[in-house]
Amino acid sequence: MDTGGDTSEEATGSSMSAAQRRAEMRRRKLLLNSEDRLNRIVGFAKNGSDNNGASRRPAEPRFHLDLDRTEPWSPSSSSQRPSPFLPESSALSSLSHTATPERRGSPLPDCSEPAAAAVEDDVGALRQRLKGERAPSDNISGSPRRGLQNYLSRFDDAMKLRGQLASEKPTQDGGVETEEFDPFRVFRLVGSILLAVFVRIFVCKYLSIFAPFLTLELAYMGLSKYFPKVEKKTKTTVLTAALLLSGIPAEVINRSMDTYRRMGDVFSDLCLYFFTFVLCHELLLLCGSETP
Amino acid sequence: MAAGYAWFLVLGSVFLCNLMKTFLSTLSSLLSKMIQKDAEQEMEMRTEIQGMKMEQSSISMMDEFAKYARLERKINKTTDKLKTHVKSRTAQQAKVKWVVNIIFYIAQAALMVSLIWKYYSDPVTVVPSRWIAPVERLVAFPTGVPGGVGITCWLVVCNKVVTLGFNVFNQRSQP
Repeated sequence: MDTGGDTSEEATGSSMSAAQRRAEMRRRKLLLNSEDRLNRIVGFAKNGSDNNGASRRPAEPRFHLDLDRTEPWSPSSSSQRPSPFLPESSALSSLSHTATPERRGSPLPDCSEPAAAAVEDDVGALRQRLKGERAPSDNISGSPRRGLQNYLSRFDDAMKLRGQLASEKPTQDGGVETEEFDPFRVFRLVGSILLAVFVRIFVCKYLSIFAPFLTLELAYMGLSKYFPKVEKKTKTTVLTAALLLSGIPAEVINRSMDTYRRMGDVFSDLCLYFFTFVLCHELLLLCGSETP
Repeated sequence: MAAGYAWFLVLGSVFLCNLMKTFLSTLSSLLSKMIQKDAEQEMEMRTEIQGMKMEQSSISMMDEFAKYARLERKINKTTDKLKTHVKSRTAQQAKVKWVVNIIFYIAQAALMVSLIWKYYSDPVTVVPSRWIAPVERLVAFPTGVPGGVGITCWLVVCNKVVTLGFNVFNQRSQP
């Protein structure tokens, strides 16, 4: 009986230790697995990847949100831009302030802010880890790491654009949007009115009214350089943000919007010119001073 | 043929629509003030909170902690009530603004459609067709009358001119 008791005690002891051993193994496996998982995310291979030399910079053009930039865009210039990872903590802290300006003054308890801050903290931690692990770059594989960097940079840009949109929304909601009238714009409009009156009185019997208008627009194109150029603030709208995030360079967007603005100016001139012409015509008919 | 003052009627309608659009926000805030019945309650709560805060500032926390804490709880409770009230008022204002905007845009669309329906085949004004060559067909659309100015072209022109005029006026009226 004693031997049976001893045997049971030994079995219990060995089972405890076996249980402990199993628990220990499970714990180690979990710890190892997490590290493996993270290594796979950042591109570390298990068996040692090929040595690619110095760490590669991402070849894809980066977004830049400086819509006022006028220098021509080129892929080489994009690679010379400062790394997005350098001022991480300050950028993230500024992002977390700018991304949610509408929540700052809210009287309501901010339940979503901790979640957003946690997401940004995680992204920042990941960036820090990437930055720290970039130095021993012998074992880094290129494309997963680049993909992660691209994803992080797009996320960063999306958060910045969101902040810009949120800050510009109150100004747009505040009432009717008024266009700014710089001196050249006023000159164009006044010129169109005066030309319309002149054409109605003297010129329309001889040729089409649109011929003088086209001449006027050509003259405006030449005269524009003699007027002070007013820098128009590029507004961040949902459209420009979507175009930026879809990969279209900001320079292309700037040029397209500039062209669109010029076309709008010509259209405004044409409408005002035609309106003034018709108005003059009707007033002259009313006065009865002239028959067409 | 074109009625004598059709062009003026269209111009006046466009002007009126743009004028109404300018005063939409004022109108919606007026309506929401009329609909809202418990605006005084909000003022009372604010006054009460202010009074309690002043009373609290005169109490020393170290000497009369219980009273201080009781006052703090009252302030918090009243502040929460005020926040709920403000939230519901803001939601009601947004709803009223939305309704007013919808009604306005429906009315505007109805007016434009009725004008187009009325002047579909009549030009708003007629000029010699050689004056508006080579785009006389585009300008005359949808009337097809040579030298006529169609309702669509005139609506676009009036809309643009009136918008420009309002922008100039707004810019001059701003400090």
